[in-house]
Parts: sequence; C-alpha cells; structure tokens
Amino acid sequence: MRVSTALPTGVAALLFESARARRQLEGRLTALVEGHGYAEAILPILDYLEPYESLLSPASRGELYRFIDRDGEQLALRADFTPMLARLLAPRLASLQLPLRLFYRGDVVRYSENRPGGRRELYQMGVELLGMGRPAASDAAEPVTAAAAMVATAAAAEREVLELFLAALTGGDGPRPSGGPRDGVGAADAVDAADAVDAADAADAPQVVLGLAGCLDSALAAAATATGLPVAELATAVARRERSVVRRAGGVLLAIVEAGVPAAPEELGAPAAARLRWLLALRDELAGRFPGVRLSVDLAEFARFSRHPDLVAEAGARSYYDGLVFQAYAGAAAVPVGAGGRYGSLFRALGADIDAVGFSLNLDGLLEAGQTAAAAPAVARRGTTAGSGGGPR
Amino acid sequence: MIRVALPKGRNLEPALGALRAAGLGLAGYETGGRGLRTALPADEVELLSLKDWDLPLYVEHGVADCGIVGSDVLEEIGGDLLVPARLAAGRCRFALIGRSRELPAAGCQVRLATKYPATARRLVAGRSWGAEIVRLSGSVELAPALRLAELALDLVQTGRTLADNGLVEIEAVAEVAPCLVVNRASFQRHRCRINDWLDRLEAAGAVA
Repeated sequence: MRVSTALPTGVAALLFESARARRQLEGRLTALVEGHGYAEAILPILDYLEPYESLLSPASRGELYRFIDRDGEQLALRADFTPMLARLLAPRLASLQLPLRLFYRGDVVRYSENRPGGRRELYQMGVELLGMGRPAASDAAEPVTAAAAMVATAAAAEREVLELFLAALTGGDGPRPSGGPRDGVGAADAVDAADAVDAADAADAPQVVLGLAGCLDSALAAAATATGLPVAELATAVARRERSVVRRAGGVLLAIVEAGVPAAPEELGAPAAARLRWLLALRDELAGRFPGVRLSVDLAEFARFSRHPDLVAEAGARSYYDGLVFQAYAGAAAVPVGAGGRYGSLFRALGADIDAVGFSLNLDGLLEAGQTAAAAPAVARRGTTAGSGGGPR
Repeated sequence: MIRVALPKGRNLEPALGALRAAGLGLAGYETGGRGLRTALPADEVELLSLKDWDLPLYVEHGVADCGIVGSDVLEEIGGDLLVPARLAAGRCRFALIGRSRELPAAGCQVRLATKYPATARRLVAGRSWGAEIVRLSGSVELAPALRLAELALDLVQTGRTLADNGLVEIEAVAEVAPCLVVNRASFQRHRCRINDWLDRLEAAGAVA
C-alpha cells in the first residue's frame, strides 16, 4: 500500500532540525518573558463560538474554523489567544491582583487564501500585560489627576511591552527592571550613533513599524467631509498609499502617506499630537537601545485601526487595538512576524474597565527569516513539508 | 538594490516608460531579450520579467520589492499590496461584450465568459439578471461570437477585435490601468527611493 505524505494546505510537520530549532527559540523566549515576571497561561484550542459573536469583525469571522459539536454547541478552533484570555479573565479581575503579566504559546488555526507564505496553522508565543491603566483610589476625588495618572500608567505599560517585543526579536535583555532609569537612554545602553545606523541599515535587519490606532480618525473624517468620499474608502487608500486618491484629500493625509507622519504633529489635533510626540520620542530612545532593529513610525500603515464606526468593520481580523500598535517584518516577506498593541477596549467590551497591552510572535516566521539570536545559525528546513509565514496575533 | 518586476505583454511598454520617467536609465536592459533577470548596476535595480498573473504574488511575497501590473489582475487576485500609483499610459477598460447591444432582461440567466471569474461574480451580484460564469484562459471574444456564452467580460482598448468578430461593447464597466505595486516591508526599507520615483512620475505627468 502506498501511503501519502501530503498534508492539508497551510500546515506543516516539523521534523529533525526544524523541530529542534523551534523548541530552542521557544525556550529562549520563555526564559526571556519569565525573567521579566510573566507567568504562563495554557489555553484550550477548542472553544465556544457564542461568547465572541459580538466581538468578531467580518475578517475575524471569515478566518474561523467552526463547527457544530455532537451536543449541538457551536465550537471554533482557536484563531487568536487574546480574546480568549480576555473572556476568561474579565469576570475574575476583581479578585485578582493587578497588574497581571501573562504569556502563552501554542497553535492558532486560521483559514486564509492559498497564498505563498500563508499558513493556516501558526505557532505563536505572546505576552499580555493587564491592568496597568487603573488610577489609584486616592486620585478618584480629582478627575484631572486621575486621568493624567491613567495616561501615564498606560504609556508605561505600552513602553514595557514594546521593549519586551524588541528584546524578543533581537535577543536583547528587554525592559529594565522596575526602579531602573526609564526616561532617556541610560549609560549602559549608550550606543554609538554611527554603529546604530550601520546595524539598522543592514539589509536583513528586522523592521518594526509603530503607529497609534485611531490617531487618524479626525483627519479621515475631515477629509471625507471635504471630498465626499466614504471614510472607509479614504482609510483604505491611505493604508494602500494610493496617492491619487489621497491627494484629493490633501494636506496632512498626503504627508502621512509619503512620510508616515505629518510635518507637524499638531496637524492631527491636540490629543493625537500629544500621543504622536510621545511615540516619536519613544522611537528615538528605543532606536538607541536596539540598534539592530529599524524602528519607524508610520501612521498610514495602521490607518484602518480605528474606533470610527465606519472603520471598525474594515480593520481586519485584529480590530481591537485602541492605542499603541506595532508590527515587525523580518526577511523579505510582507507578512509580519510579530505584532501587538494596546487593546483595553476589548476588556471594556467584556465589562472589565482595565487597560491591556500585548504582542505575539510567529515563531516559524522568525525562524524562516533567521532574525533572532536563538535562530542562528540559519535553520535548515530539512523535514518541513510546508512553507512558513502567516500573520501574527 | 531594488528588485522591480516587469510584466510581459501589453503593460510592458507603459511600465518601461514609467521607469524612465522615474529617472532610471535602463542601460543594459534589452526589450524582447530572453533573460528573466537583468541587473542594472547604474540604476541600482534588478529587473524581473514576469507574467501579469504571477507578478502580484512575487511582490506580495517579497521576492520583488515592487512591480507594475494591470488593475484588472489586482482586482481579480486581491492581496495585501501597496498601490501608490496608477499609470496614465496603457489604460483600457473592462467591458461587457455581446452580439447585440442589449443587456439580459431582469430575471434572465445567461452564460458569461471571462478570464476574470471573481471580478465577474462581483459584477453580476449587483445586477437584476443572473449569470453562470464560464472561465476561459484566452480568446474570450470567441465565446459570444460562437455562442458558447451570451456575454463576455474582457478588456477593451480600441474595440477593433470586437468589430472584427461581429461583437459590440454593451457596457463599459471599469477603467483599467497599469499600477505600481509595492511590497509593504519593502516600502518601509526603500521609502526614500520609492517616494522619489513617485515624485518624478507625478512631475512627468506619468500617473493619473
């Protein structure tokens, strides 16, 4: 009898060196995140569909593998760790000590068109930092102070998770222990500027693109009014950098399509400008600390990540981001190998008023790109029966 | 070095014109040559010669940093690509073609022959009549001419092929243009150069 070795589209068996390389990378990343106080959460791969119905965008619904169980329940294979973790934790937060630092690892299964580099089963590892944005009880009597404290703690959480993301990508040490210097580059991290540029200019340096979800909402709404084009169409044009369409809107959106940021942050309005100035400063600081990464701020890349009602449905499968958002490219593929951001609105939709920040990495995508310290030397793909790639998070 | 994918066929000339307008000298490139890869050190680019239908996949997967391909192919294949410019040259149109100028009556079911089944399905979804999509890979005009199908959806430039085969253009559905497409990661890596090309294309009136 002749036995077929074929596997369904988009899945792979890792044998020999490929399996060893993934476990090595997983081990290194586990040590990194555990070293920063993150505890493991092990989640099931099978879940009910019903609790997520109101949270699903058309894109995330389209990627689900779902079926009716023998008892009539609608089930789905895990396509994303974050909503599952949020659903399980939201009702229990009152009894838990915040902030919570959790990490997970395992497969997610997503339907995707049969495209090169597209995988339907992805092995992910990710972290979630929950509950850092809650104001202290003593601030409750002064709303202005409480709001400022909330902004500051949320920004600190965003910074901590982004630093850990960069460390995971580059094999670095990650965020400083609490109590260490957090404003500006410390002496131990000082990097010669020329060396930093040289390292990041290497053709295969990973690229991390930073943005702010919802940052363009006002600009898009104003442009829609001025041009008569639907907001969703304008946002798509910005995200695809269609200059001829965006030129009709003119001004700030055209600059963002070309350069990633406006000529002056104030052009986005006061609240967005303050956030953008913070992000640009953070990029400059982290570029010094992580010289092997190309760090850029590009608001156009995330134009569809929005809280605008006309855009939420267009935002794609991971539409829950509402603050800092980032993604990493490694190697040539256009599919990011990692992504993350702030997503407190997901918890608020589940009835829990806390902030949350997290990221996930596609381990096989990282190995294929050969970008991490643990991945070196370049991994031989012997024994792999399907290609790698696929989207993170 | 930026790797640029060039299309074979009708979009090649507009693509070469656009690259020249973007400031590339193209010294060493031989139109009609058999080489599939041509390094142009003076321009710091490598050209790939690809079929239209394969080109978006090469760019999306990052094998090519950017390329020029018809919007007809992009509409049909989809994919996550940046589309920063539509070229002014080489434009044509999607059209419904038949033996007479009449569209099917409401409620009718016809056969519609095309190389673009996904585009055709989207088109028919908004009509009062229905169609069975017949996928063909070439010479689509023959289908209505020889009654394999009542209608065809295909590209029309001058209309001469239609006239030669006793067919008429019933309805122009959409304009089709060669488009510059760019890989997302490549745009981040080569932003300055690609923006410079785009500025030059716009200054030369090569995009619309």
